[in-house]
Amino acid sequence: MNISGNPWIWVSALMSLAIFSFLYRDNPFYRFAEHVFVGVANGWAVTFYWHNVLAPSLFDPLFRQGQLYYIIPFAAGMLYFTRFIPRVSWLVRIPIGLYMGYYVGVSIPATIQAYIIKQVQGTILSAQNFQAWNAGNAGVVWSIILFIGVICTVSYFFFSREHKGVLGLSARVGIIFVMIGFGAAFGYTVMARISLLIGRLQFLLGPWLGIIE
Amino acid sequence: MKILDILNNIDRRIIYLILLTVVVLPLIFPSVEKVRVMPPVRKLYEAIDNIPPEKGLIIDFDYEPQTAPELDPMSFAILRHAFHRRIKLLVLSLYVQPLGLAQNALTQVVEEFNSAAQTSEDSIIYGRDYVFLGWVPPPIIPILGMAESITNVYRVDYYGNQTDTLPLMAQIENYNDIDLLVSISGADPPKWWVAYAQSRFGLRVGAGITAVSASEFYPYLQTGQFSGMLVGMKGAAEYEEMVERKLEVKARRKASEALLSLTYAHLVIIIFIVIGNIGYFIRRRDRRKQ
Repeated sequence: MNISGNPWIWVSALMSLAIFSFLYRDNPFYRFAEHVFVGVANGWAVTFYWHNVLAPSLFDPLFRQGQLYYIIPFAAGMLYFTRFIPRVSWLVRIPIGLYMGYYVGVSIPATIQAYIIKQVQGTILSAQNFQAWNAGNAGVVWSIILFIGVICTVSYFFFSREHKGVLGLSARVGIIFVMIGFGAAFGYTVMARISLLIGRLQFLLGPWLGIIE
Repeated sequence: MKILDILNNIDRRIIYLILLTVVVLPLIFPSVEKVRVMPPVRKLYEAIDNIPPEKGLIIDFDYEPQTAPELDPMSFAILRHAFHRRIKLLVLSLYVQPLGLAQNALTQVVEEFNSAAQTSEDSIIYGRDYVFLGWVPPPIIPILGMAESITNVYRVDYYGNQTDTLPLMAQIENYNDIDLLVSISGADPPKWWVAYAQSRFGLRVGAGITAVSASEFYPYLQTGQFSGMLVGMKGAAEYEEMVERKLEVKARRKASEALLSLTYAHLVIIIFIVIGNIGYFIRRRDRRKQ
């Protein structure tokens, strides 16, 4: 056992323990650590964005280097603050419109291609998709299961007709796939959370207490 | 039914204590077992291993301290792989928070290699072997801009150097000179690289992701949009295994050391879920009898 003499490691370790103390019950140590975290995170973010975004990308070019065309993004950005003045608050729509217009234009083609067309292609029963499973002949079986799963799950979310007959059957199969999906997601969530606990314990047992390497 | 009542009313703090015990003990008495490498990890390893000498690799560090236990080991293992193979490496981040983690990983892995190096040729030298481009906001802009010119998007690197003065950047102009991008992230960035860099410019994308987002990302692996994928601590341990077994790079395997804790914790949780369900069904049966 080789306990650290570094005060910052002690601060980090004690803050971690303060947060963990919530597992026992809510207490002042937990609330102290929580408030410190929120305050530090906000202070850091404001400072960082000023020095790394606002100053070099806007204020320095505009006010120090005299590049006057920066007045356009500056003015558009300032319009966000009109929200605080009820009489002219409608002006906030201008920067929001500019921002949305740009991002919608950029993202719609890319999103349709990557998130819809490619995913639909992935469910087609083709030789290429069979091989994608890296499972030999079983790839055909997995592709068929995927195909059935997608069709049935989509049919479960088809609410324009009552779920009876063929639609009722496919919706019932669909909900089974949905439940399996939730189960897998929950299992992965457990794995992720335990991993984070392990990470913190590796820090507490290692750099702080010196019990492990 | 007394045992059943005790189990049904067990204090959650006792469960936490049991969980803590099974997680801590394997960390104090570690043993690195041989890890079975799964196809998604092998695919990413091979994608990186087969990068031709004239092409480069981009690693996008996009995770924050809260997901570092899962994603840091992936970064270390992939950096070791890239440096061992002397792949031209660019490192960047789409967000500001991961920069410190990226710098820490680069510093440690470069130090590992340079402490064993005999000559300048053996060493990993900044500007010649790798460049840390840093961060340019907002996220989508650099993804699109790098298709034309990387040095135009990142005019200065993380350390303030003019990127067009660095020798490596004379060999890498845009995505045409990049064979693969690996996005290590606890959120959506791997999907953005697929949507904006792959769909438009054909860039191959690999991903290192947290376990919690795995079910969201697997479809991209199945469609071939991801060239390979590492999922959570298990994926990191598998990559560590590949790097040690294939490249004989001996280094600390933080994810592999944690696998026993992860396994025992899962067993405990499974046992409690089973006990909870048995208790639920027995009580329901009893209620129906009454």
